[in-house]
Amino acid sequence: MLNVIILIISVLVYISFGLSNLIYILFSALSSFFAAKHFNGKNKKLILILTITVNLGILLFFKIYSYIDITKNIFQNIVVPIGISYYTFQIISYMVDVYKGKHEPEKSLFNYLLYVMYLPYIFIGPITRYEDVSKSMFSKRKLEKDNLTYGALRILWGMFKKYVIAGRIAIVIGTITKNTEAYFGAYALLAMLLYSIELYSDFSGGIDIVIGVSRILGIRLKENFNVPFMSETLQEFWRRWHIALSSWFRDYVYIPLGGNRCSKLRQKINVIITFVLSGFWHGTTYILWGLFHGIIVAFNNVIKTKWKTLNRIITFVIVSMLWSFFIWTNDYILPLKMMASVFTNFNYGELFSNLLNLGLNIPNIIVLIISVIALAVFDLKKETIIPKIKKYSPEIKTVIFCMMILVIFVFGVYGIGFNASEFIYSKF
Amino acid sequence: MKYFRIIAIIIIFILVFIFLNKLLAPKYMEDLVEGSMTSAYYDEEKNHEVIFIGDCEVYANFSPLEMYQNEGIVSYVRGNSQQLIWQSYYLLKETLKYEIPKVVVFNVNSMRYDEPVSEAYNRLMIDNMKWSKEKVDLIEASMTDEENILYYIFPILRYHSRFAELKQEDFDYLFKTKKNTYNGFLINKNVKPAENLPTKRRLANYSFSDICYDYLNKIRDLCKENGITLVLIKAPSLYPYWYDEYEEQIVKYSAENAIPYYNFTKYVQEIGIDYSLDTYDGGLHLNLSGAEKMSKYFGKILKETFNLTDYRNDDNVSKLYEEKLKEYNKAKEA
Repeated sequence: MLNVIILIISVLVYISFGLSNLIYILFSALSSFFAAKHFNGKNKKLILILTITVNLGILLFFKIYSYIDITKNIFQNIVVPIGISYYTFQIISYMVDVYKGKHEPEKSLFNYLLYVMYLPYIFIGPITRYEDVSKSMFSKRKLEKDNLTYGALRILWGMFKKYVIAGRIAIVIGTITKNTEAYFGAYALLAMLLYSIELYSDFSGGIDIVIGVSRILGIRLKENFNVPFMSETLQEFWRRWHIALSSWFRDYVYIPLGGNRCSKLRQKINVIITFVLSGFWHGTTYILWGLFHGIIVAFNNVIKTKWKTLNRIITFVIVSMLWSFFIWTNDYILPLKMMASVFTNFNYGELFSNLLNLGLNIPNIIVLIISVIALAVFDLKKETIIPKIKKYSPEIKTVIFCMMILVIFVFGVYGIGFNASEFIYSKF
Repeated sequence: MKYFRIIAIIIIFILVFIFLNKLLAPKYMEDLVEGSMTSAYYDEEKNHEVIFIGDCEVYANFSPLEMYQNEGIVSYVRGNSQQLIWQSYYLLKETLKYEIPKVVVFNVNSMRYDEPVSEAYNRLMIDNMKWSKEKVDLIEASMTDEENILYYIFPILRYHSRFAELKQEDFDYLFKTKKNTYNGFLINKNVKPAENLPTKRRLANYSFSDICYDYLNKIRDLCKENGITLVLIKAPSLYPYWYDEYEEQIVKYSAENAIPYYNFTKYVQEIGIDYSLDTYDGGLHLNLSGAEKMSKYFGKILKETFNLTDYRNDDNVSKLYEEKLKEYNKAKEA
């Protein structure tokens, strides 16, 4: 019954965004469902390629359509379907896994529609594999107290990250990016470093909410982040950051390209191709971002030292600098200029004297620092903190719950004058 | 016992939430005192024979205590900065729940605006208004696109960012208020002579919009239902924002509906207003000295034309107003 309600709500939400959204997702879901059912016969490879090509073609059309203005003039009044990036990748992984015999095709059309159309993960992911979710999603279940508590706390934690941390940093970055004539060099570096924290708080906060909502509904989703800023190399970073997308590209692009089972040079080329495609998935202006990541990951060991902390700092700085393509968007050259300005304009003194003019006053900076410390402590110690919280009495849990609500209400950045309602990754 | 404790925690949380709503909302006691105009009325006695309704042109130009001193008129100004006509209507509706005056004086300046002007003005007027159906209707009619009624129900949603800019005022006036107005009149003693007036702008359309007429009709009907005499006025102002075309429409409306109308911009000399001395903002509004002249002039008209009571002869009222006058005169001299 619970799943019926979830599917009905999902369908209604798709329709509320326009009937075309429902038609596209239904096409993807039905085509992949029936294609996978016919993988027993002779033409299974042909069916697989055909279905993937058609669905990927639709995604590609909309990606190019949303990136390039010329196509907008040709195909006017076309709206990019909600969540197309996410559900297309999900159905591809499903079909490939069935094709390879990793699991049986889903017998129930209802279950499969639920898997593809499940609303909570359609806006910002995570891209969820059928085998990871089918057990909890299709089982008979009811609302449980433990799931309710965990889910609610997880939702509040996500909101804290999104509204208290990411929203606050967005003000500073907004000030810096609004005036590229005045803010470069040290300001650009500050924006890059802060953006790492903003994007992490925003994106992982959104995923926390998705995981929390799912847990309340008794559905267990895989984690999408694993303390990414503790990575010593960029390769490790991509095992810890946006795990769903990274592992999808690894399993369905990198490995089919040959993966590690080829020459060293070919292996490096495969890495670069995978990252370039990942960049393209984000948008045409992110191809360079993907290329840089690909090159650095391919030649990863060159910049690795014997000191763990130094490696972590180097990785954090590289990752942060490459976010330039996300900060100064819709431009190929500006991000490069900003990265170069970090090394050519030493206006660090000016930055410190102007720090309070970037949108945050001292109380706000204090709130930001304390919140980031809380985030870091929780991330590093969550293996011990979560079991502890689980053991707390209902009274203590209620206090934690109430405190979190108050903190979000008072210190969150939302309301008139702020546009914090949209998650950064929902646009991809 | 466990559930009792949880309920107790939730009650404490709600109390803290209410406290934070109060702490973070602006107090309008030292800064932006214009935000305390609406709520000041609730602390007053409710036996006014005349109620003034309108925007800043009303609370800056008409002093009820001057009118009492000169004519014995007991009146109150329910005016706010940029008070729009639908806001005047709902504020009048709210006032009539407390008292039924003999005369309602409405300043027609707000006929010029047919849509919400800014969230800031809305907040100044609405924040401290008591909750009632009128307040809900007023909010719904006044909200700009970016606003949401929840921001009014839970001020914390709007003012939460004030945690970083709390002042002494926020703590001093957490549970108390201060008198900033005198029967709704806001004293301003500054003098800024009228020198550089803005030029008259040409408009594409000079007709008042339907929504303004609708609300003017509603005010008319409300007064009629309650046996109140409605008087329309245009307060004096040197700024060239009241066009002849506007004037014609109001004159026509007043004639058609048999509503008295006084345009004081035409009687500036007769009133004795000297715009080199009697304005605090270069001719847009009158200052204290100008308001004294204006109130004296209009008080006489009101008394004579609408047969108002001279409350100076009423022991109870005069006792109360003597006290008010003491405070008022003290504020004038301060």
